[in-house]
Amino acid sequence: MKSFLTRSIFTLSLFLTVTAAHAAMSRGFNQLLDAVVRIDVREVAFEAGSKRLASSIGSGVILSDEGLILTNAHVASPRAVEISVTLASLERVSAKLVGWDHWTDLALLRIDLAEVKRRKLKFDHADFGDSDKLFPGQTVFAVGTPHGLTRTVTRGIISNNNRYFEDRSGVNGYETGAFNTWLQTDAAINPGNSGGPLVTEDGRVVGINARGYVGADNLGFAIPANVARRVTAELVKSGVVTRSYLGIIPGALQDLEGFYSLSSNTGMLVNGVDAGSPAARAGLRGGDIVLAINGTKVDGRFEEQLPAIQNLVASLPVGTTVKLAVKRGAELRDFTVQTEKLESRVGEEWVFEKWGLSVRKVSRAYARENQLNDTTGVLVIGVQPGFPADVAGLSRGDIIVKINQQAVSSLAAMKNVHEAFAAKPAPVLVEVQRNRQVSLYVLKP
Amino acid sequence: MKFISLFRRSAVWAAVLLTLGLHLRASEVSALWAERVKCVVAVEYYTETEADRRPSISYGTVIDANGTIILPSVAVNPRAMPSQLKDFKVYRPGNPNSLPAQYLGQDALTGWHFVRVDEASRKELTPVTAFVVKDTPEPAMADEVWGIGLRNKDEDFQPYLLSSHIAIVQSLPQRTAIAQQEVAGPGLPVFNRAGAFIGLAASSFGSNFIQFSREDRGGFPVIMVNVEESGAFQTAAEVLPYLSRVPQNIYGRPLAWLGAYGLEPMDPDVAKFLNLSGQSGVVVSEVLDGSPADKGGLKDRDLLIAIDGQPLPRFKPDRVILSYIDREVQRRHPGDTMALTVLRGSDRVELKVTLGEEPRLVSEADRKYFDRLGLTAREFVSDDAVARRVKSTELSGVIAHYVKPNSPAAAGGLRPDDWIKEIDGVEVKTYAAAAERLAAIEAGKIQTECVLLVSRGGVTSVLHVKLQP
Repeated sequence: MKSFLTRSIFTLSLFLTVTAAHAAMSRGFNQLLDAVVRIDVREVAFEAGSKRLASSIGSGVILSDEGLILTNAHVASPRAVEISVTLASLERVSAKLVGWDHWTDLALLRIDLAEVKRRKLKFDHADFGDSDKLFPGQTVFAVGTPHGLTRTVTRGIISNNNRYFEDRSGVNGYETGAFNTWLQTDAAINPGNSGGPLVTEDGRVVGINARGYVGADNLGFAIPANVARRVTAELVKSGVVTRSYLGIIPGALQDLEGFYSLSSNTGMLVNGVDAGSPAARAGLRGGDIVLAINGTKVDGRFEEQLPAIQNLVASLPVGTTVKLAVKRGAELRDFTVQTEKLESRVGEEWVFEKWGLSVRKVSRAYARENQLNDTTGVLVIGVQPGFPADVAGLSRGDIIVKINQQAVSSLAAMKNVHEAFAAKPAPVLVEVQRNRQVSLYVLKP
Repeated sequence: MKFISLFRRSAVWAAVLLTLGLHLRASEVSALWAERVKCVVAVEYYTETEADRRPSISYGTVIDANGTIILPSVAVNPRAMPSQLKDFKVYRPGNPNSLPAQYLGQDALTGWHFVRVDEASRKELTPVTAFVVKDTPEPAMADEVWGIGLRNKDEDFQPYLLSSHIAIVQSLPQRTAIAQQEVAGPGLPVFNRAGAFIGLAASSFGSNFIQFSREDRGGFPVIMVNVEESGAFQTAAEVLPYLSRVPQNIYGRPLAWLGAYGLEPMDPDVAKFLNLSGQSGVVVSEVLDGSPADKGGLKDRDLLIAIDGQPLPRFKPDRVILSYIDREVQRRHPGDTMALTVLRGSDRVELKVTLGEEPRLVSEADRKYFDRLGLTAREFVSDDAVARRVKSTELSGVIAHYVKPNSPAAAGGLRPDDWIKEIDGVEVKTYAAAAERLAAIEAGKIQTECVLLVSRGGVTSVLHVKLQP
């Protein structure tokens, strides 16, 4: 079921401009329509062994008089080199990324206020509603630009207010969905709707539309406003959302209470632990049941309950010592684990244009997932045909571990070798790991 | 389809006869044909698994008066266990009646599978050695050669003539002649004009084609492999010395073992960079814990450049060196030593490795099918540890070798190749313990459900398997 969800959910690129308001609509709804913007993004793409620019369009909603705009992380990411925003008045202004959080698929932009002032432009802002008060069957509206049809308002209901799905690569290859559940709506959401608000009849933003099922009718998903409110505050404060990580992979306990001799609605199953993670080092393992985290009892009977538990850990400051009350077989014991900073599998990317080689730094999470000894090396994410890396025989998925017999500990080290190659081309020896096979190649000028 | 290709071939052959007048004449062939066709056979057997029973057919050559037959290595799926191979039958060309036979095992050096016809039927066959002529030179470019092809089973494996000229002779690493067209069914002998045995047809090489269709005008590159006929054969000198390597048991043991994993050849550019031009070298990706290579001092990422003081020869293509090294190990016995020269960084290191006996293979692993659960549990062997990147010396748990679709095990989320580490919260230390536990569960006396801790792709999960009452 989970894998089905992961495969068939796609990311909507949606933009929206809406000015026409229904006569019977509330004042709040009219105000909302004036706060919804279209976002045009040009961003760098590294994948092809060369630096290329890609354009995309999305939507967003203005949240304050200071011009803060909330949108999806898959619409505006740190790779963006140019962001322009089309206001409800159809005027275009530029904007800058304040920060992004792919785990919740949210990004925050700030309109260039100096430009707004100089050009005497006007915009309005929307307000958050309380997404916890939503109930299945409640009427909601999605505002956006599905399939390029601007100023589209669609109406539907909340189909489910607590939908679980986690996607390991849902936001342009980055992980998402581990720390929150989602709102499901049947308000028509199509490619072109992403980043736009899901609102109640009074115009309050209760969600940010993000995804939908391919080939299904009206199965759309939005990030709840209460999650968005927290993330927005963090992004305003520090530009990033920092989370704690233990390395526990949780599973739903459903049907297993009998086996573990647990009363219902008690405990969270540990399906496994990431190799080398704090939880693994502390001795936790698959089959353990976590009963309480720092004294707070947890209940992970159904998978919908898991993101909240994950978030309980993630919300702790990095380096916090966590006490886990664990049941292993008949035995009850406490584990003390210190949290690490949560990292994405996706490391920093770069392109070495003289070699026609795009790479991504091996991150701690990637190394753990792929059973690598450490974070040495860079992952090849693309080669350009006919360039030295391609001619030598490198291909996507290879990990370059050594260059001229020196371990690749950072991108900077590799950049130095590349600069030297660009200045004075000479053969470069690279040691590459492909799955577990180690090969040598020479990059020739 | 097959008829057409056969027709074309004979048409070409007739044309060549007319123009050059140098070629096999009908009278020559018929004299040689009748005797030589008795050394080729088709071998049919069944592979029995939990789910099905499938026939396979391959070609074989009779090698001695004991009715021993060799089949090419591709004749048997390497994942199949010898005990799953059943009902070997040998068919003589053009004869619908089969002769019963036994499977003897595979030889690691040549890759051949050996089969032996039951005693009563042996006189029907002639060994290929009857056509060995002493001092026959290695075939050379332009030599005319011929062999036998066999039609399908529904045509009684009717034999037919194939002939061609040698185009090139290469070391791969065995001396291999490649003819202009197909000269024999894979695994069948090749003869010269005088009828002397000069080689054994290998699996045919792929040919590159571009496939066009009305929908896709661009053309799509495909590689086509002819599985019925081959144009490549290993020369007699690569065959005759090894005919005595009849396996002592169906597992082909003893098997010499080095324990160097993931050998990767270097290309000429790398060789030049490392001042090793004119020779070959291979990177040893990993040295397995506790293996002979480990004990002999070989390290991960060493660059192997010589064996017994002989620099590794350069072959074309580069990957041929891997077969060369494999053969260097397999021609030795457990206990033999092998002197290795490696480059480690910029140091040249000389090592002496005493080869060991290959650990138990997947094909030798104990296994049992539990019908109610829908699961075959298989002993965890060294290769499983290697595949899962755990120490090959720490063998525990069992592998779900087969999971029956829609069975209780499958419904519980178990998949083939899952590594079962705990059953009902109890660590599985040995195969025997797991088999006993699963048998008890299946008997249903104590419980009708079980909880498995399995590892898949390095990630563990807890699975709940319920038996139907």
